[in-house]
Amino acid sequence: MKNAFSRRSVLGAALAGISFLGATAAFAGTTVTVWCWDKEFNGATMKEAGARYAKAHPDVTLNVVDFAKPDMEQKLQAQLASGTTDGLPDIVLIEDYGAQKYLQSFTKAFEPLSDTKAIDYKTFANYKVALATVGDKTYSLPFDSGVSGMFYRSDYLAQAGYKSADLQDITWEKLIEVGKAVEAKTGHKLLDLDLSDQGLLRIMMQSAGIWYFSPDGKPAIAGNAKFKTVLSTYAKVLQSGIYKPVSGWAEYTGTFTSGETAAAITGVWMTATIKANKDQSGKWSIAPVPKVDGVEGAVHASNLGGSSWYVLASSKNKAAAIDFLAQEWGKDADFYQKILVNQGALGSFLAARDGEAYKASDAFFGGEATWQNFSTWLGKIPGVNYGTFTNEADAAVSAQVPALVKGGSVDDAIKAIDAQLKQQMQ
Amino acid sequence: MAQAPNKRKTDLTGWWFTSPALILLSLFLFYPIVSSLWMSLQIGKGMNLSFGGFANIYRLTQDPVFIHALLNTLTFLVVQVPIMITLALLLAVTLNDSKLWGRSFFRTAIFLPCVTSLVAYSVLFKSMFAADGVINSFLQTLHVISSPIPWLADPFWAKIVIILAITWRWTGYNMIFFLAALQNIDPSIYEAARIDGIPAWARFWKITLPALKPVILFTTVTSTIGTLQLFDEVNNIPTLGGPADSTLTLSLYIYYLSFRFMPSFGYAATVSYVIVALVVVLSFLQFLIAREKQTS
Repeated sequence: MKNAFSRRSVLGAALAGISFLGATAAFAGTTVTVWCWDKEFNGATMKEAGARYAKAHPDVTLNVVDFAKPDMEQKLQAQLASGTTDGLPDIVLIEDYGAQKYLQSFTKAFEPLSDTKAIDYKTFANYKVALATVGDKTYSLPFDSGVSGMFYRSDYLAQAGYKSADLQDITWEKLIEVGKAVEAKTGHKLLDLDLSDQGLLRIMMQSAGIWYFSPDGKPAIAGNAKFKTVLSTYAKVLQSGIYKPVSGWAEYTGTFTSGETAAAITGVWMTATIKANKDQSGKWSIAPVPKVDGVEGAVHASNLGGSSWYVLASSKNKAAAIDFLAQEWGKDADFYQKILVNQGALGSFLAARDGEAYKASDAFFGGEATWQNFSTWLGKIPGVNYGTFTNEADAAVSAQVPALVKGGSVDDAIKAIDAQLKQQMQ
Repeated sequence: MAQAPNKRKTDLTGWWFTSPALILLSLFLFYPIVSSLWMSLQIGKGMNLSFGGFANIYRLTQDPVFIHALLNTLTFLVVQVPIMITLALLLAVTLNDSKLWGRSFFRTAIFLPCVTSLVAYSVLFKSMFAADGVINSFLQTLHVISSPIPWLADPFWAKIVIILAITWRWTGYNMIFFLAALQNIDPSIYEAARIDGIPAWARFWKITLPALKPVILFTTVTSTIGTLQLFDEVNNIPTLGGPADSTLTLSLYIYYLSFRFMPSFGYAATVSYVIVALVVVLSFLQFLIAREKQTS
């Protein structure tokens, strides 16, 4: 035939096309994409939830993408600002300090989960629900609490003559003493600090019941006696020399997991990173955070971080994502036991607290009833309003830290922080 | 008379041929420039923008972080660009010697940093200059220092690390320009100078430098523009603007204003126009200086 396309070749092509179609149909199913940081912690809990959900819904697969936290936040903010929704995930993890910032800047980008009525918010800790609510809509599936403790190497501290009972009710000044003794007897510094990251200051502030902002969102830096006491305590730690300065998250976690430093005052979510070094089992212990001396109502309990899962309004698999969150994260108390033991994820799902794992003791931490301790401290955390400008406040403090390290005046630092923060907030 | 319609046709054809490029340029270059100028007159957070007139310019004068970023950027400019141009010039003159062994190896080796990824080499520098990194170990082994230098934890040393990083990366690039220009100098001039008994140093000052003037102007202007826009290294080597914001540059501050803090896109656009203004002023000054020397 003159025609280049003979009947046979056309039939052949059609058959091939149909078989391809069949093949893709066989692989069809929903993939729910999740963006989060910290593979050992958030990523691992998500994967566990995905595996459990897949048992009842085999056609739903979870794709968990891992990032470094600041990278993910900046990528999310950049894409939300651009307005393009291509490439956005279905579910994203957002830290509680920044929740209001995202919700108020990009209100239409997030799906108000309270509208779907799939999640009963009364079963979650109230402070977590409140921080993800704008107006009368709640946008999050509350995830972990960042209840803090002091993780320390019990072997190093024992060498310096300190037992667990010695560390239960201490102030930051006493901690400095302990740090100096530990360095003298073992040669290891007590802490490691990244001076651009104000996590330690945030722990101190919340334990004293204050924040950079007052409950109505205005800066509470200048003329605030409690803030001055907290900043002075922070300055004392900075000048004490009981820490090793580091730069970046990898260096920060690497320093105490390798045994170079003796302790880390951080959130319960660090458990996953610490427990990843299985050969150190039995050498770690957990004490309450030191109390800020001089502030009435200061407690041995605080929060660092903590985040929640949000669904993006542009997601094509919204229904699957919301159902997944509601079924696994919103109802499965057994799931919360599992992630508590494996990752140290202290969820905000209140019913989970009655589970067995929360009462068990952990051999890694010397057989202490660690989760009971954290649960107790969780109940004592003073509630504060994080506001929408925590990043700006952190940056204002970071700018003054080297001066404080050198012994500069706390009053001058307060004036400078206040000026810079007010400037950035306009 | 017969020529006019033909010329018009040629003109029109010419415009048709260039129109795709012009349209794309207008869409992706001119429109964003004009749009960002409009944006710099807006105030407000996030997507809630409203017209603010010169409010952002007033805010520039009151903002301590902006002043700090500006000073940091100018410090990098004033310290790093002269060092780099001088180094590139000296290297080019040295490697121009046809009798030098391993000439092409050295040229390649010095140029190679320019083809590395900015982020990749920044991450490498970050780990090299860590408190327990290779640089400190190296210096301690040589007994140049007795205790490790806190490269990235100290405001002064963090600036030094950035200057070292940029110099390492861009010297080769500028050196190539100088090498190319040196090829154009007639070697017989040097021969004549040598016969006349002019020493090497005078030959460099009186023959090489004047001949290289246009290239020196070009490399200085482009290096100035590049350093004023410094971003990748300062974003990846120190954490979050460096100790006490010592390595915060204007571009990094724009990035923070847009993507780290509560977004202030209008103000960020204003800061970017500050960079434009600086580039215009400095380039104009440099052209002025070059022109004066030519006529004198």
